[in-house]
Amino acid sequence: MTKVMAQLAMVMNLDKCIGCHTCSVTCKQAWTNRAGTEYVWFNNVETRPGQGYPRTYQDQERWRGGWELNHRGRLRLKAGGRLRKLFSIFANPLMPSIQDYYEPWTYDYDRLFSAPMQDDTPVARPKSLITGENTKISWSANWDDNLAGGPELAPADPVLRKLSDQVKLEFEQAFMFYLPRICEHCLNPSCVASCPSGAMYKRSEDGIVLVDQDRCRGWRMCVTGCPYKKVYFNHKTGKAEKCTFCYPRVEVGIPTVCSETCVGRLRYIGLILYDADRVAEAASVADEKDLYEAQRSVLLDPNDPEVIAAARAEGIPEDWLEAARRSPIYKLIFDFGVALPLHPEYRTMPMVWYIPPLSPVVDVLSGTGHDGEDADNLFGAIDALRIPIGYLAELFSAGDPEPVRNVLRRLAAMRSYMRRINLGREPDESIATAVGMTGERVEEMYRLLAIAAYGERYVIPKAHAEQGARLEESMSGCSLDYEGGPGMGGPFGEASGMPVPVAVENFHALKDRQTTGALVDPEDRQNRVNLLNWDGKGTPDGLFPDRNGRKQP
Amino acid sequence: MDRLRGMNGTVHGGVADGRPSLARDTDMCEAILALSGTTNGHLAAQGFATLARRTGTGFDGLADEHKKITFADTQARPVPVTTSPEWSGSETGGRRYSAFTINVEHRKPWHTLTGRQHFFLDHDWMHEAGEALPIYRPPLNMTVLFGEPGIGEGGEQGITVRYLTPHSKWSIHSEYQDNLLMLTLSRGGPTIWMSPADAARAGIRDNDWVEALNRNGVVVARAIVSHRMPTGTVYMYHAQERVVDVPKSEASGRRGGIHNSLTRLMIKPTHLIGGYAQLSFAFNYLGPTGNQRDEITVIRRRSQEVDY
Repeated sequence: MTKVMAQLAMVMNLDKCIGCHTCSVTCKQAWTNRAGTEYVWFNNVETRPGQGYPRTYQDQERWRGGWELNHRGRLRLKAGGRLRKLFSIFANPLMPSIQDYYEPWTYDYDRLFSAPMQDDTPVARPKSLITGENTKISWSANWDDNLAGGPELAPADPVLRKLSDQVKLEFEQAFMFYLPRICEHCLNPSCVASCPSGAMYKRSEDGIVLVDQDRCRGWRMCVTGCPYKKVYFNHKTGKAEKCTFCYPRVEVGIPTVCSETCVGRLRYIGLILYDADRVAEAASVADEKDLYEAQRSVLLDPNDPEVIAAARAEGIPEDWLEAARRSPIYKLIFDFGVALPLHPEYRTMPMVWYIPPLSPVVDVLSGTGHDGEDADNLFGAIDALRIPIGYLAELFSAGDPEPVRNVLRRLAAMRSYMRRINLGREPDESIATAVGMTGERVEEMYRLLAIAAYGERYVIPKAHAEQGARLEESMSGCSLDYEGGPGMGGPFGEASGMPVPVAVENFHALKDRQTTGALVDPEDRQNRVNLLNWDGKGTPDGLFPDRNGRKQP
Repeated sequence: MDRLRGMNGTVHGGVADGRPSLARDTDMCEAILALSGTTNGHLAAQGFATLARRTGTGFDGLADEHKKITFADTQARPVPVTTSPEWSGSETGGRRYSAFTINVEHRKPWHTLTGRQHFFLDHDWMHEAGEALPIYRPPLNMTVLFGEPGIGEGGEQGITVRYLTPHSKWSIHSEYQDNLLMLTLSRGGPTIWMSPADAARAGIRDNDWVEALNRNGVVVARAIVSHRMPTGTVYMYHAQERVVDVPKSEASGRRGGIHNSLTRLMIKPTHLIGGYAQLSFAFNYLGPTGNQRDEITVIRRRSQEVDY
């Protein structure tokens, strides 16, 4: 008997990522432009090889995120079990510091307007948002963009360090690609398992992993537990926050902000059905290299009548089953077999998958004077080149080059096959058969990858109103509207009105707040209560002025 | 004109008697929109009809004759313009603009002497310069011409390198590489990219403050050392914001300068050709080549104490 559950999943096609950071910027504007989350990027794009954000987060020997097998072959958190957690609950050594993320800063833009008459044009110099003092910027959310600082910084890339010395030397040939990352919304989330307060949960209807802001006690074990370092600590609210898969958007059938705004149109969103009873078993296979296949085996065929019947038994609605059958994610993972999970060896069963980039291979070929789109040349190069295959394998298949090689061969076949058609020549079926596909399949894949109409890239079923109670929406208004949250629409939030961007406008306000001893600055207009919205119940903070420095009861 | 009179009202008396009123700024905006084929479909249709008579080819179906965009439309939301003979691309039917599609698909002659695309410039001055056909010209020898040090010279005190100013991957000039978010996703201020070999010779490490100096000016920025860069060349990406994180220069004592502080336009006679087929002279950005972007500079590590 299978316990069928539905999961919203994403696939990103790395060949199309141009590293423009539109996803990061729009995500930040939507979700983390608040005090307390200055350093937080739910979505970030890092250049590989590179250290990533936070730096060297993939080094699990150091950060101990994700799962490992104990001597009995059972899963346990790499950072240790309950007892170990209890001992480290007040001083957790396995937490990235703000320097591992980066020390957020702004610029003294006000100076551009207020500077006195002088010989030179005034400039805005950087100010740390931590100390409020002048600073020399020495690390950022994307410091090694485009291999910046490569010779000094890239050798610390945990993925590169796993490769042999010879490969490291070849790295001098300067290959690179971009890796956009959001929360993986794993099937076996180690962040959820790490939480001592039970505040983190995986939504049963669509598998989105969320933090219950009311239950979070700020222990930050989730930050340690997540091997992707995609749970963040809001230092103002004292609670954890993370990528929400833009659930207020996907519940009404529209894609996440990062996907919607992606210039390269490289993101796909769709439903996947999986067997919840087999997740733990699949995550515990002995050999890391088997994890990719194990994870695939947990995912169910939405066209299989038995699966459909079992799904119905679990109460999954018909339109969701239809969405699962049309899912671009299922097609990319199974029908075309080109999507791979990121770091399956963490044993969390990540649900944001990637199509590894063929471009570095094509670039190497073209750079050496070969025809980079000829099928034979490409197949030969994919077999011969240790880099970037070795590197990609460390990212997407626990170091096993075979799955990556197979994907790249299929992408190469598609390029060559479609080029012949584009040049007005006869389709060459043998190119497709060489990679175990048919010409028709290749053209279907081409349609999904290259033409990729909006409605085909995003097949997102709407949430069901009758499931409302399960959707974790609080009864009174927007569930994002907690103190310091992105909704902040209410009268008692930090800002009565629009969310305040982390920028010039609030630099001085932030500085004032950070340099006073008081918890809130009475002068701060943001703490005023909007009387128009006040419902007359209770006396919220800021309704009356403080007397003798104490709040009114 | 009648339509414009209807929208703006008519002037009574004075030199403009009977003309549409341009009394207010919005009146002028309406006038511009009414007089352009891209915002007044009637003009576009008329223009294509005239063009068809001149070229003997057809442009039917390109103009949207009844489309008229008013200033109020543009205030409400961005409005796509209509296809017009003023431009070479077609946006008819929601198509994305691409240059020269009208020339190719409607056989409109190119604006050249032959009406075709051609590379041969049969002009006396071009012949004299040996450039009647496209030709490779090496970068100017700045050492001989202007007394700059030779490329590759120098050491700890600063080395001489080629100085290029390409566009960055995510910006048109300062938009949008210089807002706080994008600066947070890069190095947070002006930078110059250089190769590890050059950096080692000049004693420069990644993120050190450096100064680049030549006869035109000086730039202060932080160095990015990357194996992406070829030895002997540095990049300073185009138009990084001059009012963000630019300290004073040691060399001049003044504000540190921008990428164009080191470049200067150089005019050659062929830039001045005018009144000949597709070549016309205008006092603007002289010449079709970016020759001033092929500069050389001395780059050196400066005091790491910077003063704003």
